[in-house]
Amino acid sequence: MSLRTGQEKWIVPVLFLLPAMLGLCVFRLYPIFLSVWESLFIERFGSGGGRIFVGLENYGLLLNDVVFWRSVRATAIMTVVINPVQIALALGLALLLQRQSRHIRLIRTLFLLPVGVALPIATVIWGLMLNPNTGLINGILAVFHIPPQPFLTSEDQALWAIVGIATWKGVAFWMLFLLAGLQDIPTSLYEAMRVDGANWWQRFRFLTLPMLRRTILFVLVADTAANFVLVAPMIILTQGGPRQSTNVLMYEAYRSGFQFQDFGRAMAVVAILTTISLLAIAAQVLLLGNRKWDSK
Amino acid sequence: MNIHVRRNWPIIAWYATVVAGIIITILPFAWAAANSLRSTEDIFREMSPFSLRSFMPGNDFSAYVEIFQLGFGRAILNTLFVCFVSVLGGLLVNSMAGFALARFSFKGDGLILALVFVTFAVPQDALAMPLFILIRQLGWFDSFTALIVPGIANGLIIFLFRQFFLGIPKELIEAAQVDGLSWWGIYWEICLPMAKSVMIGAGLLLFVFQWESFLWPLIAAPSSEFHLVQVALARLSTEHGVVWNWQFAASTIAGGLPLLFIFAFQRQFVSALTGVELK
Repeated sequence: MSLRTGQEKWIVPVLFLLPAMLGLCVFRLYPIFLSVWESLFIERFGSGGGRIFVGLENYGLLLNDVVFWRSVRATAIMTVVINPVQIALALGLALLLQRQSRHIRLIRTLFLLPVGVALPIATVIWGLMLNPNTGLINGILAVFHIPPQPFLTSEDQALWAIVGIATWKGVAFWMLFLLAGLQDIPTSLYEAMRVDGANWWQRFRFLTLPMLRRTILFVLVADTAANFVLVAPMIILTQGGPRQSTNVLMYEAYRSGFQFQDFGRAMAVVAILTTISLLAIAAQVLLLGNRKWDSK
Repeated sequence: MNIHVRRNWPIIAWYATVVAGIIITILPFAWAAANSLRSTEDIFREMSPFSLRSFMPGNDFSAYVEIFQLGFGRAILNTLFVCFVSVLGGLLVNSMAGFALARFSFKGDGLILALVFVTFAVPQDALAMPLFILIRQLGWFDSFTALIVPGIANGLIIFLFRQFFLGIPKELIEAAQVDGLSWWGIYWEICLPMAKSVMIGAGLLLFVFQWESFLWPLIAAPSSEFHLVQVALARLSTEHGVVWNWQFAASTIAGGLPLLFIFAFQRQFVSALTGVELK
């Protein structure tokens, strides 16, 4: 389908592509290399400043740092819980909103509200709702004679409170993809299964889930990648505390760079996080390898 | 349980679940909006002991007046300016690239497509810190340039335009060539005007990416003259302590504005995002 016309055959596409490719290479690709490169240096304080090439020393320091490992632990715990919970809720919501009913458009719109409310806003509002003394949630709990909870001020609850906030914000967004996937399944297949006497669970298990497999995998990987960099609630509400319980890797990187001015360490953490992200993408490509992106 | 209820229980359960879900979804934002119109003392009075009046809007607009005196209006104007330039620039740059990828085949176009995919798969925030070092080297630290330029080229938006332009019949392009139109003319006068729905969807995505960004504006442009709404909102509590009704008022404005855009163009937004028109 190419339309080659004489001597302008390569200069034209290059000119059309140049601004975008320049932008992608400089601002999206180069920073990946930069994080690896900068992680090989340490900042020198005092006499003139500057920085020294130290090779992999920043990584060595991290591996021997209990703070880093606690951060890995917090990240791992959060990742293992938040992604399946969000996908399950998003799938449940998609199945709920798939149904055609009289007010379905209005109902979907109402559920989409958190998609439009930015995470920092959701964080600020939920921070006030979860205030241990005068927050709404403890006010409602008191009506049911449940003692006030510490939420974000407690080492045991803070991470889960943040998981809750991010889930409130994220579920409807991921639901959109699953809802779109559900609508791609021909209704005739459901009719056929119904005629064969399959019940609700059988239709879900043997038709919906297999047909939705690729969408679910895509959402799972994209959601995982997004949650690895979840950091606004930590910056706004907890500063990684109490007692580092919410100090995930992304916050550890932010803190190393912007509170302790240790950019070598920050970049090492970022490089580790990016590696994990790219591994998630590799998993996506392997699992969704036969997916047809192209309609060319 | 009578027969009527028994036959209808799936529908009743459906409605009950939907209503519960909507309450959880709406409650925080409704609570914030209602309480943005109260003095902080009144907010606390409704809260302990908790009463349902907490969800009724108050009638005290002083919080809005006060946050605007603190420069929140400036942050909104900054954000609208940054979003406006980002959307226009992003639509132009990415649609050009999408056009080239759809209309030309040349050595390395597969590589470029792979690059496009990789860049939209790595979350932008993961690169905020190396990007910060780059911006300092370029001398863009603490400027609108730092807020706008890095977000312009976007793999997802390029991909959206490419998919649309692939669908334009090539007879149309050939006819335009016979008429002596240049490639720029074909792009600008023929293809772009056909891409209206993609433009709305892609523009909305660019707007939302920019509006939602937090970590990047927080570190790239810390001066108050460049504050964007999300940063201004987060800074309200660090600079002035937690004044509840200010936070509610600021959240209501910052949350309400994009909702207007998104709900007005909900269809295009969803189809740009998922590639499907919801029935």
